Amino acid sequence: MIKKTFSVPDMHCSNCSMRLESIEDILDGIKEINASYHKQQMTVEFDETKVSEEQIIAAAKKKGYTAVLGEKKT
Amino acid sequence: MSNERKPVFDPVILVALGIGFITMAVVMLALQNQGGQELAINTGSGFSGRLMVSFITGLTTGGLSCLAVQGGLLASSLAHQIEQDYLALSTQPKKRGKKQPPQKRTNTALPILLFLLAKLVVYTLLGVLLGWAGSFLTLSPITRATLMIAIGFFMVGNALRMFNVHPIFRYFNIEPPKFITRYVRRTAKGTDAFTPLFLGALTVFIPCGVTQAMMAAALATGSPTTGAAMMFAFTLGTSPVFFLVAYLTTELGARMEKFFIRFVAVAVLILGLVTLDGGLNLMGSPLSLQNLSRSLLPSENNASASQFVADGRLVLNVENEGYFPQTLRANANTPVQLNLVTDKTYSCARDFVIPALSFYELLPETGTVQVDIPAQPSGTRMFFTCSMGMYTGMILFE
Repeated sequence: MIKKTFSVPDMHCSNCSMRLESIEDILDGIKEINASYHKQQMTVEFDETKVSEEQIIAAAKKKGYTAVLGEKKT
Repeated sequence: MSNERKPVFDPVILVALGIGFITMAVVMLALQNQGGQELAINTGSGFSGRLMVSFITGLTTGGLSCLAVQGGLLASSLAHQIEQDYLALSTQPKKRGKKQPPQKRTNTALPILLFLLAKLVVYTLLGVLLGWAGSFLTLSPITRATLMIAIGFFMVGNALRMFNVHPIFRYFNIEPPKFITRYVRRTAKGTDAFTPLFLGALTVFIPCGVTQAMMAAALATGSPTTGAAMMFAFTLGTSPVFFLVAYLTTELGARMEKFFIRFVAVAVLILGLVTLDGGLNLMGSPLSLQNLSRSLLPSENNASASQFVADGRLVLNVENEGYFPQTLRANANTPVQLNLVTDKTYSCARDFVIPALSFYELLPETGTVQVDIPAQPSGTRMFFTCSMGMYTGMILFE
């Protein structure tokens, strides 16, 4: 399991964080997503053998958001 | 959003319901605006008058204000539910070479109605509780003024957030705790009747500025029945806007939602400033727009509405449209008797406040109430207002 933070600059309300967190219900291999409208970012804890960063970014795009990989936490 | 995922709606039912809500609102507004004393009494007096005012507040300011705080979250939660339905449908395995049968969607108008129904019920119950609690305590004008200023500040901050003025304003948007959003999200995946009912009930935890003001008004009634009826009428008034939002966010997509947010931001900014101004009026501050303009404008402008009384007796007519004259003149360094005269007055002008004297009284619908004002030094501007900070005036001692 690794934890990575993505910057999401186009969040415009606290509901956006809820929408982004719903990605954890769609993609296998994601343990938890914590999105913050205040910080304009989401932290994703995931199993890199099951899901990739690109898939997470693509899932965010499907929701209407541009996620950019930011700082890395392990 | 691709065409495949675009929610299919039941536009006839949606539009019919929308028209129903709006017609009801227009009829109530028309009843209020029609001439005739009988109707004026209905809109301004007692129980029915309070209900009408609550409903119209919900329909106009309340609906828009609630959008800023809870509309996006909850309407989009409905959209999320629909989106999840489609994701579920689109991830179903497709058989090769076989034409897929048309996918039937459940009636989407029903969840919206259930959502609004739950909101109505929960806020009515909240009204019962507030009215009951209010029977034990009374909000003083200064407390109400502080509340209004705080609410106005919150609304202006929210509007600036929506305009994306500075990242600091994001903190005016309260992020619900993660365990709540997670629970809401997981519950919203269900398609049963419970989901929208639950989401509607949840709005009680994130009341908007105007709702909070209405809650304060319900508290001030000191009666569970009146409190419940006021909150019911107010929430019913907010329903058409909520209905439209649910429709717009789910049907017209994110682009329209962003446009709508800008529209809401303008409305919330104006309402926030009005609320802030009302709070300043109620506090007796010379910095409110009305008091500032009254102080700065040359006295000739107010001359027709002013009167100078030498014998220490002032008469102020308290009418449905406000206080007349709006500027009273009195001798300085002499005690003054202010006579408040009502004649079939039913509006909130009856809730008379002189902040500087901490004087507050609900005047009779018809009659005269005397207020003894101690001697004031020359140049004193003593402001008076209704308890909502809407109608104002001033006594100038010279």
